[in-house]
Amino acid sequence: MKYGFISADDHAQEHPQVWTSRLSKAKWGERIPQLREDSGGAQYWSVDGRRVDLPGVALAGAALDDRTRATRRWDEVPAAAYDPKERLKAMDRDGVDYSVLYPVVAGLAGETFAHIDDYDLELDCVRAYNDWLVEEWAAVSPRFVPQCIVPLWPAEAAVAEIRRAVAKGHKGVIYPASPMELRAVPHINDGAYDPIWAACEDLGVPLCFHSGASRKIQMAPGESFPPAAAAAFRDITRSVSSIAVFANFILSRILHRFSKLKVVFAESSLGWGAYEIEYADYQSAADGLPGEGYPLKPSELFARQCYFTCWYDRESVRVRRYLGAKNILWSTQFPLATSCWPESRARLAPALEHVPEDERRQMLWENAAKLYRLEM
Amino acid sequence: MEFRYGLISSDSHGQLDKDAFTNRMSRAQWGDRIPRVIETREEKYAFPVERWIVDGEVQSGNVCNCPTAMPERGYYPQRWEEVPREVYDPAARARALDRDRIDAEVLFPNGPGGTYYQGGEAFELACVRAYNDALAEFRRASRRFIPLAITPFLSPIETIVAETRRAIAAGHGGINMLADPSHAVKGQKNLSDPYWHPLWSACEEMGVAVHLHASAGLAGKLALPQWKEFTRKQAHAVSTLRNFCTATQMIPYLIFSGVLEKFPRLKWVFAETGLGWVSSVLEACDYEWERRRLWTEGIKTRPSEQFRRQIYVDFWFETVGIELRELIGVDNIMWESDFPHITSTYPDSWKMVERSLAGVAPADREKVLFRNAARLYGLN
Repeated sequence: MKYGFISADDHAQEHPQVWTSRLSKAKWGERIPQLREDSGGAQYWSVDGRRVDLPGVALAGAALDDRTRATRRWDEVPAAAYDPKERLKAMDRDGVDYSVLYPVVAGLAGETFAHIDDYDLELDCVRAYNDWLVEEWAAVSPRFVPQCIVPLWPAEAAVAEIRRAVAKGHKGVIYPASPMELRAVPHINDGAYDPIWAACEDLGVPLCFHSGASRKIQMAPGESFPPAAAAAFRDITRSVSSIAVFANFILSRILHRFSKLKVVFAESSLGWGAYEIEYADYQSAADGLPGEGYPLKPSELFARQCYFTCWYDRESVRVRRYLGAKNILWSTQFPLATSCWPESRARLAPALEHVPEDERRQMLWENAAKLYRLEM
Repeated sequence: MEFRYGLISSDSHGQLDKDAFTNRMSRAQWGDRIPRVIETREEKYAFPVERWIVDGEVQSGNVCNCPTAMPERGYYPQRWEEVPREVYDPAARARALDRDRIDAEVLFPNGPGGTYYQGGEAFELACVRAYNDALAEFRRASRRFIPLAITPFLSPIETIVAETRRAIAAGHGGINMLADPSHAVKGQKNLSDPYWHPLWSACEEMGVAVHLHASAGLAGKLALPQWKEFTRKQAHAVSTLRNFCTATQMIPYLIFSGVLEKFPRLKWVFAETGLGWVSSVLEACDYEWERRRLWTEGIKTRPSEQFRRQIYVDFWFETVGIELRELIGVDNIMWESDFPHITSTYPDSWKMVERSLAGVAPADREKVLFRNAARLYGLN
């Protein structure tokens, strides 16, 4: 390792041909994920004939001169967003050894194709994304840690794709934390999903819940918000919306049934996590949960199996012991506008000054290296 | 006011007597719609139980949310005669304060609730007025009580402001709001809308704060669908654990909407949402403000400065937030007991206080335990 830093959450921007070059035009035609142009000359992504909820054609704010600008046309998108070779240069600039990848068009939380009301099309889109990431990114450098997305339901379909993708080199599984809000499927706590968790546990790959799987749990900015303030608000509410995800998950008993499953809460930030864990132990006891089949405290479950991911909130490092230094992953969120790039390390340095060497190592790279079984 | 104990609860719940509404609302006009306690049957209980009923809708489960005031802690009363006087009678309640060695308490709603918008504009206004009059009795009984007025969301803004003025004049020390009235009430405006400006102006002028309690009406929205297989207790734990999600989003909301900038002397209180997350949210707000250069878009003051200028946050059980108090603002932190709810620290509040504040210097201790609240509520 050159820099001693693994970013556990970055986003690979899909280019316009990812699906058009892989899906059958004869079979799917206009439903293939692709760029379209509106009457004003701005481009947008269309999936299954419907516009994808993205501000512009890419999420690449960090690589733009003006982070408040949305890219209206593909030729405005900086290469570092979608070109793996340029991405490596960007990683070098920020001092990042390895980058764990999440989608953009396919959904920050891997949720886009779950909206497609057609299992076959959904599966083709999912497979194309998974193939593309390995063929065009992972093949370029082992510094990219690819993660697969999956068809939402049924569990057997997701398991089949997980096994296929992991065999191709994927090292993590991305799943939307609230599938029951995307389609008429059972609640995520339901045992029907157990084959998915079992597969992840079995294959030794982490299950990743990225923030933003459900728009409903984010407040909307009011009409009077200045536009860039509205964008800032959306980014902030997205990461804290994981509070609702976590509150359900930590008491769902999924971790009871799959004690070796590793679960990452990506783009969670850290600060609310320390509070939530302390609160969870307090409230769990107050509500008498140990007497209802909860032998382990939330903090114990969390310590055993879960991870929060940080990027900007360095002050929270002070209360890392509530979560455990070995349960914290750092990230750069590149190339989202919220990224600390290209000063991620510089920004973090003051917060790490008084942190013991072993804990610093854990948070900066060792936890991620172990979690993703990266050969050093 | 003399501070005998040096402890103020900035979030407790004031129970109204069972006749609070029937004594005040016109029977001729409202009849059986008036909020009151009735006898009824519930499947779970062999004996007839009593429940609050509001506009024909029965509030099932218990007749009072006061499990920590009960002789058998954790028990929810099923008939009104089981409800301890400490929760609804000011004189008895003052003795409960002494028992817990608390000087004063801010009164948020208890049964039958702080909102009455299900019944139409006129009904809501009648209930709100009755509620505000009834709760003001606590204040008339003793200055140790700081009641908070509730708001008639279906009424035009002029009426809302008038009722607020009336309630404050009657002794209330602040108002209770929903985090997003447009979510709860069809056609009503969200809090960033200029519609609310006359209310903010009035509160600013009267020097009273706007209060948002726990999920402040967004419990159903800022939540994953509830899993039906959770037991009642598990579901309660899950829903409690995500209550503060509202606050983590409302603080950025107030900042980035420009509401705080437009009304810089208006104070906001986030009750029962804790502290530990605050510094991280402030850091996110400052970070985004810098990254996107939001001072060029009318958000002139740094977000964390806006927070320090205008927002208060409450704690009761935690240590995390106390550790981070410098990053939050020691002047912005208040303690709460949440009496008489299940999560309350009554009657051993000082034990929890000592645990949370171990190692904290006296000056900071006094601020968070009572001086900040005394300043905010004008108790000095």
